Order: sequence, then C-alpha cells, then structure tokens
Amino acid sequence: MEFDFTPVITYFPTLLKGVGVGSLVAVIVAFMSIVGGLLVAVISIYINKIVSWPLRFFIWLFMTTPLLLQLYFLYFGLGEWILIPAIFVGILGLGFHYMAYNADIFVATIKSVSNGQYEASRSLGFGHAATIFYIIVPQAFIRSIPQLGNNMILMVKDTSVLSAIGVAELVYASQYAISVSFRPFEFFIVIAAMYYLINIFMELGQVWLERETAYRR
Amino acid sequence: MNTERNKDEPMIEIRDVHKSFGDLEVLKGINLTVNRGKIVSIIGPSGSGKSTLLRSVNHLEVIDQGNILLDGVQVNRPDMKGLQFERHINHIRQNMGMVFQHFNLFPHLSTIDNITLAPRKLKKMPPKIARELGMELLNRVGLASKADVFPNWLSGGQKQRVAIARALAMEPKVMLFDEATSALDPELVEEVNQVMQSLAEEQMTMLIVTHEMGFARDVSDWAMFMDGGVVVEECAPQKLFSNPDQERTQNFLRKHLNS
Amino acid sequence: MDFNLMIEVTPLLVKAAWITIDISIRSLFFGFFIACGLVFLQSFQFAPIRWFARGYISVIRGTPYFVQLLLVFYGGPSIGLRLDPITCGVVVGAFNIAAYMSEAIRGSIESVDSGQVEASRSLGFGKVQTLVSIILPQSAALMIRSIGILAIVLIKNSSLVSIISVVELTYQAQRLIGSTYKPLEIFTLSAFMYVIIIYAVMGIIELAYRRAMRYTTL
Repeated sequence: MEFDFTPVITYFPTLLKGVGVGSLVAVIVAFMSIVGGLLVAVISIYINKIVSWPLRFFIWLFMTTPLLLQLYFLYFGLGEWILIPAIFVGILGLGFHYMAYNADIFVATIKSVSNGQYEASRSLGFGHAATIFYIIVPQAFIRSIPQLGNNMILMVKDTSVLSAIGVAELVYASQYAISVSFRPFEFFIVIAAMYYLINIFMELGQVWLERETAYRR
Repeated sequence: MNTERNKDEPMIEIRDVHKSFGDLEVLKGINLTVNRGKIVSIIGPSGSGKSTLLRSVNHLEVIDQGNILLDGVQVNRPDMKGLQFERHINHIRQNMGMVFQHFNLFPHLSTIDNITLAPRKLKKMPPKIARELGMELLNRVGLASKADVFPNWLSGGQKQRVAIARALAMEPKVMLFDEATSALDPELVEEVNQVMQSLAEEQMTMLIVTHEMGFARDVSDWAMFMDGGVVVEECAPQKLFSNPDQERTQNFLRKHLNS
Repeated sequence: MDFNLMIEVTPLLVKAAWITIDISIRSLFFGFFIACGLVFLQSFQFAPIRWFARGYISVIRGTPYFVQLLLVFYGGPSIGLRLDPITCGVVVGAFNIAAYMSEAIRGSIESVDSGQVEASRSLGFGKVQTLVSIILPQSAALMIRSIGILAIVLIKNSSLVSIISVVELTYQAQRLIGSTYKPLEIFTLSAFMYVIIIYAVMGIIELAYRRAMRYTTL
C-alpha cells in the first residue's frame, strides 16, 4: 500500500470551503440551541403545565431518538410542504436536537439555584419575572457552562452527519474529490485530522471559559 | 434619649398573626408594634416561630390570619390577586430591607453590582449615580476596597456587611434581620454587630431575630421572647435579660447565657 | 395518520430494529474488552505505552464517529482492511465507544477512596486481589451507570451505519419515508422503537445498578 496525498492538496480549497459551511452551521446551531434551550427550560419550569408538557415531551423525544432519524424526518417531512435548501433543514435538525440537550441542562441548573437567591431578590422588591431574569437565569447560565461546552463540542462533531441530507460541509465537500481521485483513505484521514484540530481548540476554549467564570458561581 | 425617637409613630404593626405549616401551627396570634426609630429584638429557641414571624413581615411567608402593616400600609392583602398583588408587594418590599442568615448575595454579580442592581432596575437610577451610592454604602460598612470583588472571595462577615449595604441601597423605612450572625464564625460576629450598631445610632427602625443575647440587650429598645408560636414575655431588654417574669424565659436564658 | 400503513410496515421496522440491537450489543461487548485493555495500558510504568493509550482516547474522542466509520469502510480497503458493512459497524462502534468507556471505567475505579486500597494492602492483599475483591465491587455501581449511558449513545450512534447501507432501523425508516411519502407515520413508529430499545436498556441498567449498590458505601 502506498499513500498519495496530492489529490487532497489539489482539493484542499474545496475542503476548506466545507469547513466554512460547517462552521457557519455550527455557529448558528450553537446560538439557536443555547438561546432556544434556555427559553424551553424557563417556560417548562415556570409556565403552566399546558405549555410545559409538550415542551418536556419535545426534550424527551429529541434526546431518545438518533439525530439522523430526526434529520430524515425533517428533510422529508418539511420537503413535502415547502422546498427549502438542505442547509436550513440541517440547521433546524441539529438545532432542535441540541436545543433539547441544552434545555435538559438548563432545567437542572435553574432548579439548582437556591431558594435563598429567589427570596433575597424578592425581598429587594424585584417581581417574580424580574427575579428569574436578573438573578436565577444568569446564575443558572454560569453553572451550565461546563456542560454546554461539552454539548457544543459534540455538536461540532455531529455537523459531519449533515452530509447525509446533502449539507455541503466538510464530509460532503470531499465526496466529489474522493469519487474522482479514488483516495478515500487519504481524504478521510485529513478530514479526521481537521476535526481533531478544531476539537482541540474548542477544548482549550472550554477550559479557559470555565476558569474565567468559576469565581462567579 | 433623642426626642425624635420618642415619637410614637408605628412603623411595623403585627396584629393577631396566625400561620400554620400543614397541621403545625407556628404562629398562634402574635401582636407587636415597632415604632419609628425603635429597635425590637425577638429571641427564642429554634422552632419558636420567630423567623417565620419576621419572614411574614416581608411576606416571604404568607400568613393565614391577622394583619401586618408597614408605615400604615397593609402588607398582606388577601383581597388582591395575581399581578395586582405582585405590584403591591414589590412596592412594599422596596421599603423594607431584609438581611438573611445565609447572606444570599448574588454570586454572579460583583459586590458593587449586588448593591446597585435594585436601585438601577427598580428606581431607574443612572449607573453613575448608583455606583456613587454603592460606594458610599460600602464605605459605611467598611468595604470600599472590595467594590469590584465577587462574593465568593469574601469572608462570611464581609458577605453579611455587603448584604446589609444591599438592603440599605433601596433606602428602606425598616430593616429586618433574620439571624444575621448565626451562620458566622464567632470571630466574625463582631464586625457585623458593629454595622448594625451604627444603623441603630442612625435611628433606623429595626426588627431583629437573633441568638446574640448580649447584642440584643445592648442595642434594643424592646425585647420579646417567643416560644411555641406565642409571645411568652415582652418588656424592656434590661428587664427581660436580667430579671424575666416567666419561668420559660428564665430557663431559656439560663441555657443561652451560660454557653 | 394512516394506521393501515403503520401496521403494514411494522414487520419491516421490527426486523430492522433487530439489526440495530444486534450491532449495538456486539459493539458494546467488544468495546468493553477494548476499554479494559485501554485502562490496563494506562497503568503501565513504561510511559510510551501510557501515551499511546491516552493518544488513542484523545483522537477517538476528538473526531466524529461518522468520519471514523467512513474512513474504515471506504478507506480501509486501501490498507487491506475489507469489512462487510455490518462488521464494519460493529468494529468501528466498538473501537469508538471503548475510548469513552475506558474513561468511565477509570473514573469509577478512581472514585473509590484511596483508604480502601491502603486498608486492603495492610491486610496483606496483593495488587490484583485488592483490585478484584476490594476496588471493583465498590466501583461497580458507578461503572454500570456510566456504561449504561454509553450503551444508549451506542444505540443512537448505530443509526449512522445506515450510511454504509446496513438495513438497520434508521435506514429502513428513511427508505420507507422515501417510498410511502408518509414521514410522520414512519417517524412515529421508528422513534417508538428506539424509545422501547432505549428504555429496555435503561431498565436493565437500573436493575444491575441496584444489585451493585449493595457493595458500595455511597
């Protein structure tokens, strides 16, 4: 066996474009899943049962079924009604998936904020909603950072799955190059290395962020 | 005594207050009036209902029967519902400073932000002015150098002093202290007592639930001994602590003054 | 909802679900032994062996399972590694989960108080005896919990094997959605099957956990 990495070098700009698309998706999904997850958690804890029950069902359903199945469902399900580009389906699917996981974290950390914090805020004259907004949620958010970081690292790796529905991220971008060069091993090794590099940077970022926020917990 | 202090103007009125937790009746018809500028201490064994009474004044506990008034305004309003009551109680609470046993400082905010959050958000005080107010209050409790430090870096005594400053920032009419020094190491109690002492000298109206018998005797105008949800005895502190009428009070004091 | 259709496709999905279960169980089984090997390698005095194990765990955890699967299935033949799709799913699944599992096993062993080792050694037990009769019984409960979580990850991961044409649950679901144009019905049914499989695993884990709890002082 001999390896030939020249096709990888030739098609490297294509791969980088894939990284770009994947990163764009990841950033949007991170934002959507964190903000959405927080909203879902707050609503499911504080608003009445009629609203919270479907939300809890949503969290549960997205956590107990595989991402790929969810993606297929959205892809074909939405495809029946409207023609939308794969990238939007990918963002929605990955976004909902991690929204559920993040909401699960936020539910736990919101509940972990002690009642004394709530009482202290109310005794100053803050209302129920203002207390949640200024006191409970910021504290829960800071406590969630380590687990949110883990989820976002998993999420970035899962962007590779979006190739299955035709999102032009790294794996998808390599497919044409592989099919003309017949060098799958070389390409996938390089793709894995690129993911590994991104992963290392994210882990460093997570360590830094945890250290920077630890004293506020 | 200052003449101002002798004005018999009631700031806190507690009238026939009852409160039960399930089958357990913890307050069995309590009456108490705290006049403007006066300091009233409540002592008693744990489970006597003294903390519940104090928390009821702040409406952190909802009373079952009776009335509580702050400066003539009724705190508990069973007739009000939902948002109407929410607005009412938020307004009432802005006039009452509450200090907790476990400080309950907000760990995600710096010391100064802990103090200025309420004035900024509730009184719409501009940030610059709020900061000046916060610094002034930190000065008063001797912690000006800790303005931008986070609560986790402070000692228990420092935390409680910040908590007092936080309560004072809303310029309350009365201050409520719920065992403010009980969670502190013995050597840190004094610094908090000093701050409370200085408030007393400024004629702040205070209702204090405490285990610190010596402090209660020195600082209060009136003292009350509670046990089993009732007021066993109330009188001037000099009398209560040295020469109480009731046997239950005597037993309690014997146990606590010796230890 | 088209219930007739749902009844009609159920046998197909059940058959596919068995493939999902089969792949997951085999991956878990082999993965466990690889994980134990990784834990063992990390206890070596000779540093390069430890580095190898740490490096392996870091690389596997730092790259997507999906890419690992594609690398072995499509890239494997160029280094003489030819696997049929199901075997490929099992092998990659096992080597992938082993990296996570070795961390879980190590964590549960390290959670046992070091005083236990000292007490055992002071009684005259050897290293291996201490591990087998003192440490492992106490760490079993925590170990079972974390392996259980990984088993569920494994079941969800197995859906990706559909990409290399293994007719497991997700593949069958996708094919049926494509041919019937009834995404909601098919999704409901296949999601339901995943739920059943995952809850069955959770049930087994819970039973084993309770049994193991007898030996811990937690």
